[in-house]
Amino acid sequence: MARAAETDLRQTFFSRQLEEHARVFFFSLGKLWQNPVGTLLTALVIGITLALPAGLHALISNVDKLSYSWEGAAQSSLFLKDSVSAQRGQDLAREIASRPGVAHTNYISRDQALAEFRKLSGFGEALDILDNNPLPAVITVTPMHKQSREQINVLVKDLSQLPEVDMAKLDQKWLERLYGIIEFLQRAVMVVAVLLSVAVIVTVANTIRLDIQARREEIVVMKLIGAPNSFIRRPFLYTGLWYGFSGSLVALLFVSVGLAALTAPVQNLAGLYDSNFTLSGLSFAAVLEVFAAGIMLGWLGAFLTVSRQLSKIEPR
Amino acid sequence: MTDIIQFHDVSHRYIGGHDVLSHVSFGIKQGEMVFLTGASGAGKSTILRLVALIARATRGQIHVHGQSLAGLKPRHIPAYRQRLGMVFQDFNLLNDRTVFDNVALPLIIRGHSHRDVGRQVRAALDQVDLLDKEKVYPLFLSGGEQQRVGIARAVVTKPDLLLADEPTGNLDPEMSLEVMRIFERFNQVGVSVLVATHAIDLIRAIPHRVIHLEHGRISLNAPIGVRHLGDAHG
Repeated sequence: MARAAETDLRQTFFSRQLEEHARVFFFSLGKLWQNPVGTLLTALVIGITLALPAGLHALISNVDKLSYSWEGAAQSSLFLKDSVSAQRGQDLAREIASRPGVAHTNYISRDQALAEFRKLSGFGEALDILDNNPLPAVITVTPMHKQSREQINVLVKDLSQLPEVDMAKLDQKWLERLYGIIEFLQRAVMVVAVLLSVAVIVTVANTIRLDIQARREEIVVMKLIGAPNSFIRRPFLYTGLWYGFSGSLVALLFVSVGLAALTAPVQNLAGLYDSNFTLSGLSFAAVLEVFAAGIMLGWLGAFLTVSRQLSKIEPR
Repeated sequence: MTDIIQFHDVSHRYIGGHDVLSHVSFGIKQGEMVFLTGASGAGKSTILRLVALIARATRGQIHVHGQSLAGLKPRHIPAYRQRLGMVFQDFNLLNDRTVFDNVALPLIIRGHSHRDVGRQVRAALDQVDLLDKEKVYPLFLSGGEQQRVGIARAVVTKPDLLLADEPTGNLDPEMSLEVMRIFERFNQVGVSVLVATHAIDLIRAIPHRVIHLEHGRISLNAPIGVRHLGDAHG
């Protein structure tokens, strides 16, 4: 009986809290709606601030995706000793293909290599002068996707120590450099994002500070009729949250427009490189991240300023 | 009957200034209505500010609802003020909210449910005869009506103590009398009322106990005191 009453009481407590938060949620939105120009300007400032890291992030993800599609090119070539027979070479290719981490292999016999070279190099006639075929047989090894560079390096090193293998060559120096650049850019975007996050916090904090000063009398009245600080603080925290949310919306709008503007030239450029690469927009996860970041930063900016400002306002 | 407000040898001094109140002692009984009178600067408002914990006594003891105010920590002040009903000279209404929302505010602060708020706000507005104005914004009301909204907001939580600081200071005589009569009505149903005022004619019209202040001291504490008051004011 007593327990039932207690549960009931707790439920009413939570439902009241929920009701109160819902009230403040819409109340603070209504307040912003009453001052559309000011709200829009603040949202614009926050939006531009957030759009920069979000946009850079989108571009880098695209470069990353592009490099990922090139990863197939990160195959290594095993040059076989001349003493290895064609039969043994083919068997070896099959053995290597069954190793973990290897996607597939391809055996290219000495004759095939010669034919290919003749076709591609244009030195066909020069080759005719030679008595015998100077080219070795090759096994190309394509590692599986999603392997780290260390894993691939270990694999290639292992393969190079096989008795049949003369030399192993991993042709991905340029890819490693690209990865290096991407990593650097990602880090740079992170640094920029941290700096601009601080800018968002300061923007919201300052806007809320002015808001509190403008509503000083209202706050005094609230304190006079017994409103606790948590009650007075709540609408301002929600205002910060709304600023962050609207700023995120603006940022996403800017990024979408920016990416849309780049789509045609990128496609044109990709066409020139015989690629069907297309610029992809922000992923769903990235959109959520922008909203989460905006809302959190807005709330934080409000939180940092509101307690300090409210304690300065007391009825006299 | 116990005292709802008790001052014992209370002094209040501005920082670096003179005593606005010195050695003031008095008690107000549960269910009593008392006028605090005196020239401006005599200390009427200071007494109300001390009771509302807007200021703290420099010396002496104040008890409200039997509780000593000296030991009350700042974080407990909101809960303490929620037990008082306060009415102000300049009404202190929030002009960007309707009459209904103004009166509802103390209930919302206390976390009353939505349905509860509507019922109690209308009851309070009915008591000050403003039921038809609930959707109006305060600035569209006359001074008297605004003050009645202020009173509705003060009584909506059914406090047992009402404090009013010059509630008729900005009103014409007719409206002033009406406002005082409203206070008297609440007093008749058991609410203790403390009104600071210098409107002598009103006090004559509504006879209640008078505490008269001069230069921060009580010069007259008259049980029915109205008739002597003319003399005190000279």
